[in-house]
Amino acid sequence: MNWNDHLPALLLAIPLFGAFVAPVASPFGRTTRNALLASFSFLTLLVSLFLLRHTLTNGIAVYVMGGESFDLTLPLGMKLPVRIIMEVDAFSAFMAVCGSIASFAGALFSMNYMEKFTGLGRFVSLYFLLTVGMLGMMITGDMFNFFVFLEISSIASIGLIAFWRDRPEAVEASIKYMLISQVSSMVFLIAAGALYGKYNVLNMAAMGALIKPGTLEKLALVFLVGTLAMKCGAFPLHMWLPDAYAEAPSGVSCLLVAVSQASLYGLMRVCFSLYGVNLGGAFIPWAMIVMGLSSMFFGVAMAVVQHDIKRLIGYHSVSQVGYMLLGLGVGMLVLTDARGMAEYGFTAIKGGIFHIFNYTMYKALLFLAAGAVYYTTGKRDLNELGGLARRMPFTTGMFVIAAAAISGLPPFNGFVSKLLIYESAFAVHPALTVVALVTSVLTLASFVKVFQTAFLGPERSAFATVREVPTAMLFGMGVLTLAVLVATLFPSWTLSYLVEPAARALVDQAGYVGAVMGGGL
Amino acid sequence: MLGTVYTGFGYWDVSSWIAFFTIAAALVLWLRAQGREDYKEGTEQDEIYWSGNVVPEEGAEITVPASSAYWGFRKAMAPFYKILTGMHTGIGTDIVGYYVVVVALLAVFILL
Amino acid sequence: MIANAPFLLVGLLFLGGMIAIFMEKNLVKIAIAISVIGSSVNLFLVALGYRNGGTVPIHYMAGENTVMVLPTPQAMTLTAIVIALATTALLLSLIMLVYRHYGTLDIDEIRRLRG
Repeated sequence: MNWNDHLPALLLAIPLFGAFVAPVASPFGRTTRNALLASFSFLTLLVSLFLLRHTLTNGIAVYVMGGESFDLTLPLGMKLPVRIIMEVDAFSAFMAVCGSIASFAGALFSMNYMEKFTGLGRFVSLYFLLTVGMLGMMITGDMFNFFVFLEISSIASIGLIAFWRDRPEAVEASIKYMLISQVSSMVFLIAAGALYGKYNVLNMAAMGALIKPGTLEKLALVFLVGTLAMKCGAFPLHMWLPDAYAEAPSGVSCLLVAVSQASLYGLMRVCFSLYGVNLGGAFIPWAMIVMGLSSMFFGVAMAVVQHDIKRLIGYHSVSQVGYMLLGLGVGMLVLTDARGMAEYGFTAIKGGIFHIFNYTMYKALLFLAAGAVYYTTGKRDLNELGGLARRMPFTTGMFVIAAAAISGLPPFNGFVSKLLIYESAFAVHPALTVVALVTSVLTLASFVKVFQTAFLGPERSAFATVREVPTAMLFGMGVLTLAVLVATLFPSWTLSYLVEPAARALVDQAGYVGAVMGGGL
Repeated sequence: MLGTVYTGFGYWDVSSWIAFFTIAAALVLWLRAQGREDYKEGTEQDEIYWSGNVVPEEGAEITVPASSAYWGFRKAMAPFYKILTGMHTGIGTDIVGYYVVVVALLAVFILL
Repeated sequence: MIANAPFLLVGLLFLGGMIAIFMEKNLVKIAIAISVIGSSVNLFLVALGYRNGGTVPIHYMAGENTVMVLPTPQAMTLTAIVIALATTALLLSLIMLVYRHYGTLDIDEIRRLRG
């Protein structure tokens, strides 16, 4: 029994075990709880890295939950797969690594940040549940299982956003997120149920083999795309996102960024691997491109005028998701056109996927830096901050790196992925690139404002006792800075070893279907 | 490893960029080091000059608050911002309303 | 036509729930509307599993009848009911907290985060 084969199950089992052990271990003291949080997050990160290595060398990893053998998808010569099947291709493993890095950084940060809160055993439990929900969304190969993990992550994030229950705004943000989340999950379930009713399979690969264009499929596609785009934060479905990201504790905001990327992963799975060639023309790609452009521009327009630091960063989340939707929409547009794909489509998909990695790293780092500022000064409003660079040099340095990366300044990783997206969008229509460039300029403008008001400037007497944040929080931010710097200094290595296999796996619907169905389409 | 990224339309080379940046930074720092060093620290030669006014002790009184940043941009785009912030009402059912309207529009247009 | 009656009911319940979400101002009524929408989706899942003349999908209890109702939608519905239970519990406790903080349950008043 090779342990490599059981990695998908381990990836879910380890944080789930941590979630259930946390309330039991918490009464033993702060050290036990922190050790649990840090060690299980680190183990999850290790498992996800091993899974990535396994997938890059051995192809798509399939895991049948509860089967006699881990890859017995079609027992007794059945024509359709039975049992819940996890299907991990290079794109899933790539996303799992992104999510685990964000989860580990947030866990390290939360060890010190949450000191003043009570009920921390439940916090650790909810944190691990949110990690499980996110990772489950990324590696599952079954539509209903995706819905279950989507709901697990919704419930956990609702609990975590409202964690500071003494603050009215946090409870308000949580309840607004809950309303939209419930309605959209019901719509998602209708779509999944309708597709099941027509094709009698819940497995994504089997459905991808059986699906044919038709009215029901088009409506189901619209429902699925609508729900998943809402969870990512596309305009105009994004209204909950700045509130929720601002009011959650900062370690949780860091993880919520990765959770929204899991929904983006689901969106790509539905469009590329479930529907693929049966996408039915250019409507959905153009809808995604338009949603991407509007998210980009309106997100950053709202961000420039904010004066609460975390709300500003939350609006930038909306804008950056627009970049990914634009890149992946351009790639989807030429999915069936081989020449377009070779010219600019594949570059667009590579740009979108690389941007997912970059965005998760620098956005999580921005939230952690904002959390560090709040932890030391107790203020979130930019009008009351100033002159922190002398007191908190490490935080300032990491904030500068993250702000330069998000604005797309060379040489950072944000520039490379944005370059790929600009050039491929230009091949579709120059206006797309113009909007993207204007957005980049406005992003730089708002981060110059944040940096100047929060970190530069004269020192305030109220902040005379401010010191640098504790080591564990610096370590958490350092993990993300290291990821940003690796992608900055070794872009061609990252692109060819991490992003390109993921892009190729995403585009290859036949391979995705064949791994479960056993070769026949 | 520190190689170039070839997009279909051009290329991006990290090591060349860093090399040029260090050369330019060295030049700038050399120029900056050409300044005079014969000033006395701690005396009035070291003070902030604020157009002849008295510099307040409290740093908070001489900062430019963040809400007044980009006021020209905000004033020029005031109609646009009125509509945009008008859309972001913050009412929970409005959020659900936007979702339902978008899904309904997509459903109508995909079937056309 | 009579065979489509459950699906018509699903549509009516869903529509009713949606209209209630937009028309009602009280948060508790909105929570009830979300619960109604959840029930309509569960009814949809159970109804699409029915086969004409079908019986219990358990081999030794089916008798001589060979047409069985589909069991998978029943499993899906049970899971969906449990998930709806958890979210309703969370929603109601959050509504309690909102009332404690804001003093009102009017959704038009609960908008300190805006703009």
